[in-house]
Amino acid sequence: VDYDVIVLGGGVNGLGTARDCAMRGLKVLLLERGDLASGASGGSSGLIHGGPRYMLSGPEVTRLACRDSGYIQRLAPHLLFRIPFLVPFTSRRERQSLAERAVAYATEVFFSTYDVYQSLKRGKPSVRLSAEELYRLEPGLRPGLHGAVTFDEWGIDAHRLCVLNALSARDHGAEVRTWTEAREVVREGGRAVGVRWLDRVTGQAGAARGRLVFNATGAWSPALARRQGATVRMRPGKGVHLVMDRRLSDYAVVCNGVDGRMLFVYPHDGESWIATTDDDFYGDPDDAEATADDVAYLLEGAASVFPAVRAARLSRAFWALRTTLYDYGPNEDALSRDHQLIDHAAEGAAGLLSLVGGKLASYRAQSEEVTDRILRDLGRAPVACRTHQVPLPGGEAVADAAALAAAHGVALPVAARVVYRHGARAGEVLRLCDQDPRLRLLVCREEGILAAEVVHCVRHELVRRLVDLRSRLKLSVGACGGLDCARLAAQLTARELGWPPERTRAELDGLLQAGWRERRAVLGGSQLAQEELLRGAHWAVSA
Amino acid sequence: MTTRRVDVLVVGGGMAGVVAALAARAQGASVLLVRRSPGATALAGGAIGVAPDLDALPGDPLIGRRSPLESARRLAARRPGHPYAWLGVGDLEEALGFAGAHLSALVEPADGRPRFLAHVSGGVVECALCLRSQAAGDLRRARGLAVVVGFSGHLGFDAGLVASAVARLTASGGPAAAAVEAAAFTGPGDGALRPVELARALEPPGAAEALGAAIRAVLPRGATVALLAPVLGLDPAARVHARVEAAAGLPVAEVVADPPSVPGLRLDAALLARLEGAGVEVLQGDLGPGGGPGRPVSLGETVIEAGSWVLATGRFVGGGVLRQAGLVEPLLDLPVLASEAGAAGLELAGRPPALLTVRQRVAAQPLLAAGVAVDAACRPLDEAGRPVGERLFAAGALIGGHEHAADQTGLGVAILSGWIAGRGAAARSGGA
Repeated sequence: VDYDVIVLGGGVNGLGTARDCAMRGLKVLLLERGDLASGASGGSSGLIHGGPRYMLSGPEVTRLACRDSGYIQRLAPHLLFRIPFLVPFTSRRERQSLAERAVAYATEVFFSTYDVYQSLKRGKPSVRLSAEELYRLEPGLRPGLHGAVTFDEWGIDAHRLCVLNALSARDHGAEVRTWTEAREVVREGGRAVGVRWLDRVTGQAGAARGRLVFNATGAWSPALARRQGATVRMRPGKGVHLVMDRRLSDYAVVCNGVDGRMLFVYPHDGESWIATTDDDFYGDPDDAEATADDVAYLLEGAASVFPAVRAARLSRAFWALRTTLYDYGPNEDALSRDHQLIDHAAEGAAGLLSLVGGKLASYRAQSEEVTDRILRDLGRAPVACRTHQVPLPGGEAVADAAALAAAHGVALPVAARVVYRHGARAGEVLRLCDQDPRLRLLVCREEGILAAEVVHCVRHELVRRLVDLRSRLKLSVGACGGLDCARLAAQLTARELGWPPERTRAELDGLLQAGWRERRAVLGGSQLAQEELLRGAHWAVSA
Repeated sequence: MTTRRVDVLVVGGGMAGVVAALAARAQGASVLLVRRSPGATALAGGAIGVAPDLDALPGDPLIGRRSPLESARRLAARRPGHPYAWLGVGDLEEALGFAGAHLSALVEPADGRPRFLAHVSGGVVECALCLRSQAAGDLRRARGLAVVVGFSGHLGFDAGLVASAVARLTASGGPAAAAVEAAAFTGPGDGALRPVELARALEPPGAAEALGAAIRAVLPRGATVALLAPVLGLDPAARVHARVEAAAGLPVAEVVADPPSVPGLRLDAALLARLEGAGVEVLQGDLGPGGGPGRPVSLGETVIEAGSWVLATGRFVGGGVLRQAGLVEPLLDLPVLASEAGAAGLELAGRPPALLTVRQRVAAQPLLAAGVAVDAACRPLDEAGRPVGERLFAAGALIGGHEHAADQTGLGVAILSGWIAGRGAAARSGGA
């Protein structure tokens, strides 16, 4: 037997579990058929939030998420940023009906209840704001609101959270293979004993034997289970986010869609996002896309409190499928966000476990639970989980961007971005500039990406395809669409990985295609002019 | 308020607007050109595509490739929604000759054959005209060994990637390819320079000569032409190309780059200089609302009255077409169509972008081909397919039906439509 456990899926649950298993001494192989975080993890709202909404259906979900949010802040402080939320009162200021007053009161009480959990994640307690205070904070809100309640959450680069878990898993001995698809779970005598895989970059096929197989393939798991004659029941819900090219507000603002669903407009790093749709999705997960309806629905909802979104520049729409637990009857929003571990022994596949549901903020706790179970199934003595104590790579200390900028001769905003992405390891990235001054070439002005950082990523962050740099560095993701960076990054990556020119061109094409898919539903205004420019810049890639 | 009365007002100062202004001027009309800012022409690579040979297969000999004019004829026959089909290509040769003559200081004369130029991304660009600094890199004419030269101090240009573009055509009769690295841009901070800064750095005395000598030092035996990143000076008066060539001791050519490219900026500057030489007045700014042929329009403190108008306002980059609720032409509210679908295109234009694009990036995208429809005289058409006015003309990327940025016909359409529109505008200006 080659491995104790084979993990399928390079989302946050698979990677978190691979990290935990490796830290507890197990021999781990993780297979991901695309890039890390290419499903629901990367396509999430990018919030390590407690989910106050879930207090109603399952307070345990909220408590768990809040506690783990606190842990994640200690594991990777550089990746997190505070996002204060405003819940405006939309009813009349004068002559409120009893019902309207009851809603306002209930909202206030609701968030003071949530305050109980805030200390778990270093959140500030909620505050009741008058109308004057509200408009002072966010003058762009539509007129007629008569106050708000605040609550406190944290944003995160969910892609990098996954990448850091992968790096940590690897550092603890796990083997992490991206762009490698598990084609089949091999069974012998009613037990899963391994997988057959296909490397989608090299075309190489292979097999690995393992004592346990953990299926964490998210929206792809029902199909994977079905091929084994097993069942994973799920109600995948498509969630679309709209992205504006800059921050429209300082605060997240909660609003309602035309159907009454809760939406929010919020600053996320340098952008503003509108979250999110939730619609049952049937069909192949690979075919999911943002539709014209998704875009119109989200814009309408956001504009109902924040009219300026109508004039804002949309730079992309991204989507993912929530792997919500199956239930017949409730509408999408009412489905539980809890998670469930399925043992397929009764279906003739002992040793095959599947995870359904769960939240980004609780990934570490979910992974701990799965790892406990894996140790038990393997008949190992319990080993204490340490994933909440050992920092993720770069999370060991907070780096001083100003000192790094001065020491390595790079601009402060660039150094700050390197610190944001790499934390305590930022110095490692910038030292490359000292060794080769050519690596001071600025590849992306928007994200502050130097050639050195591209090279560092390719060398150390499990990069196999050019498109992997989207999740590592947000390269070619922003409003510019890769006008400056795409070709430069392709050249740098090709140098590092020894790609022949034809491969480089194919990789460049793949990177540009990924960006086009996210932009095409939102093209208008300046973004459409940018697209014309991009067409001119990049048509020769395929000529 | 001052009032300016001219025969022809041209709105837009890219290739189409400039050719229209020069063509109208050549007919004796008084011409005023208003431009807001450098447009898509300034962002182009400097190679002037007219029509690619759509029937050519990879591996076909370059020597047998169709002429740009013949390719344009075939394209017009095959794509009835393309501007070449609306305008006819009968005047294309004369229009290209006219534009080439006016830009002869910068542009290599056409010889009726297509040119094939290597692109920085490793592709090959087919064009009808190119800059003089690009001409020696025409893979149909170059013989022997083309050496792609990288700069040892700068990672922005990958000589190996470009050499692969050259090598792809070697079997079709192109030159053999090799990549070398010359000692250049090795000073402190040089590695972080952007293309325009590299170009400026080569202008001072001695800089171009040093680059030429560095190239000479690394040339392999048998090298017949050196291909370089297109950074050989921004100001033509600095003669960087000629100085590098003299010092390197062999023909030197710039390859085509993505925007913002130095050759595109040079082309834009040359167009403006030509207007001045031909006596076309150029004003900078945004036109006010409510104008049109024979009707006054404001430009800041100036009122302009022109007998006929040529709109050469470009597409999305130029601002000639916007997508608000639907696609609109903001200056005169002309109907806009999306795609090459003719009448059906007008109904499509109101649809959301997700429905006007397809998932494959490299496929034709109706949204990106949006623009106004014109008749054979370059007059914009209304919903019923009739000219909006006798003295209103459109030219360049404002005309829909082609993806000017990506289908290699963009500047060809600009020159042809600019020439037709400019002459038509001069003939119908009514001596305002």
